[in-house]
Amino acid sequence: MPESRVLVIESDAARADNLRAILEFVDFRASVVADAAQIAIAEHRPQDWLAVLVGDTDLDGLDGFVAWLRRDRRHPPLIVVQARHDALMQRYDLDPSACLPLDMPVRYGQLSDHLKRAGLLQMERDLGARPGSGPTGNSAVMRRVRKLIEQVAAFDTTVLVTGESGTGKEVVARAIHERSARRDHPFVAVNCGAIPSELLESELFGHEKGAFTGAITARRGRFEMADGGTLFLHEIGDMPLSMQVKILRVLQERSFERVGANRSSHCDVRIIAATHRNLEDAIVKGTFREDLYYRLNVFPIETPPLRERAEDLPLLIDDLIRSQEQAGHGSVRLAPDAVNALRRYHWPGNVRELSNLIERLAVLHPRAVVDAAGLPRRYCADLPVGDGVAPVTRRDAAPAVASASSPVAANATVHPLTDPAASLAALAVLPPEGLNLKDHIETIELSLIRQALASSGGVVAHAAKLLNTRRTTLVEKLRKYGLTRDDGDDGEAAVGAAVAF
Amino acid sequence: MTKVRTLLVDDNRPFLILARHLLASFVEIEVVGEAYDGEQAVRLAEELKPNLIIMDLAMPNMGGLQATRLIKAQDAPPVIVIASHYDDAAHREFVAQVGAEGFINKRSYENDVIVIVRRLLKEITDA
Repeated sequence: MPESRVLVIESDAARADNLRAILEFVDFRASVVADAAQIAIAEHRPQDWLAVLVGDTDLDGLDGFVAWLRRDRRHPPLIVVQARHDALMQRYDLDPSACLPLDMPVRYGQLSDHLKRAGLLQMERDLGARPGSGPTGNSAVMRRVRKLIEQVAAFDTTVLVTGESGTGKEVVARAIHERSARRDHPFVAVNCGAIPSELLESELFGHEKGAFTGAITARRGRFEMADGGTLFLHEIGDMPLSMQVKILRVLQERSFERVGANRSSHCDVRIIAATHRNLEDAIVKGTFREDLYYRLNVFPIETPPLRERAEDLPLLIDDLIRSQEQAGHGSVRLAPDAVNALRRYHWPGNVRELSNLIERLAVLHPRAVVDAAGLPRRYCADLPVGDGVAPVTRRDAAPAVASASSPVAANATVHPLTDPAASLAALAVLPPEGLNLKDHIETIELSLIRQALASSGGVVAHAAKLLNTRRTTLVEKLRKYGLTRDDGDDGEAAVGAAVAF
Repeated sequence: MTKVRTLLVDDNRPFLILARHLLASFVEIEVVGEAYDGEQAVRLAEELKPNLIIMDLAMPNMGGLQATRLIKAQDAPPVIVIASHYDDAAHREFVAQVGAEGFINKRSYENDVIVIVRRLLKEITDA
């Protein structure tokens, strides 16, 4: 995230000094101006500030500044002194989650809540979450996903979004929220798998002052932050059993307790959960509660992997580049041979991987046209050799699918290929009758994994190096293809496999 | 002995001086470069191909979360450890989500940084 700078717009010098002192006391850097017209907006981006604190100031200057700020849909929130809050929220037609009231004199709890929420928004932005109208793509699978979103949005139904990592489960959740009656209330996301389990309960439900060592003040949890809106429980399949029972209770009774509290709080929150795991398998293994599964799986939506909708790729690329430009994050263009190479890639990281790639190219090659040679090597590994006239070989007997799967470009850029890749180039030719892309790619992947394991004497870490992949990724694939004894040997022990010493 | 080629990223120059000084006492570590914001880190990671990046979160221009995402998109990306003063559930959640392998609270940097680097080295020798 960018640094934690808070912009203070306040014409009363004494009050401005006071606000600066308070902010600095809680470890934020403050930039103070008396009038928003003094801000050189040409030299700034809205994301330069974590939040904008508005006190008593001239409205003419503020009008121009807020108009500029709002050009970025993920602009930092305004924190407005209570006396002017309602008027300004109306004047600028701001969403309540983007215009927070501040009592005077300042209360530490309220200000720190507001700044925490602003911090979450900023981190979500840095995570690459994009606001927008929902999932992009014209493929039949995506049209179906959009239809399901439209069907369920208006009701308070609990939704379970499933799909591989990076397929845009959060995009679906946000789209549901934005089409629901709760759209003017907060959308709060929690990644249950990324929060250390000992901190998860207090993060979700909040805690009372003195509930545990270090709890010097009472704090609201994400359920309370989402009140009236939608709470998105991401990676619910990674939630410990002890927390699952508490979530079940919220779903049944709409109430919960802060850690250390002896009374229940009511909550009005719509729950959307998501996971990349197969929860039915998890139930069999005893790591997921069956009753919670049925409570969540009221309306299931599955997000398809990118490799199954390669025809959406050009549209997705345009969409990603456009939103980069709109947010002032620079721009880049892809040459046709680069787009062709990307269409042939199998996208294990799905749309998130594509989005990170586009953003990376915009940073490394601002306003340039990137051709296939400018892409990271893995995206070009299966480009055809020479002029691309490789013999048509049909290696698998998969049923023919006459879909718009990636055509082979005759003009693809030639790259030095390693031997296995060269021999694979013959496989990267679309037979006239078509093929099942997913099965075909899996056959190639499986064959390479077997070869790597054979030449590394079955040592997974060495095979991972040969495949230039992380050990954890390979372990996942071995599980997927049933090539492993399930000894639970994963986790961060594999970190080292990614380091090339 | 193979050294861990390390890139340090922080907008706080005095902190970088201290970190360099501290890391100099460990034979396993070779600091190969310094970057002062996320954007420089993305460029230097591509150019220097370090094995390890120790990076701050809050920096002007581009912060550590976004930079981690973009560096992880390069071929054979380095291990990334985030070092930050902000140590709470939300920050650890976001750091894990962008794919960083480790998190160090800056308040215990002096003790923790070498523990993490040694753990990585051990895992490589064991592999």
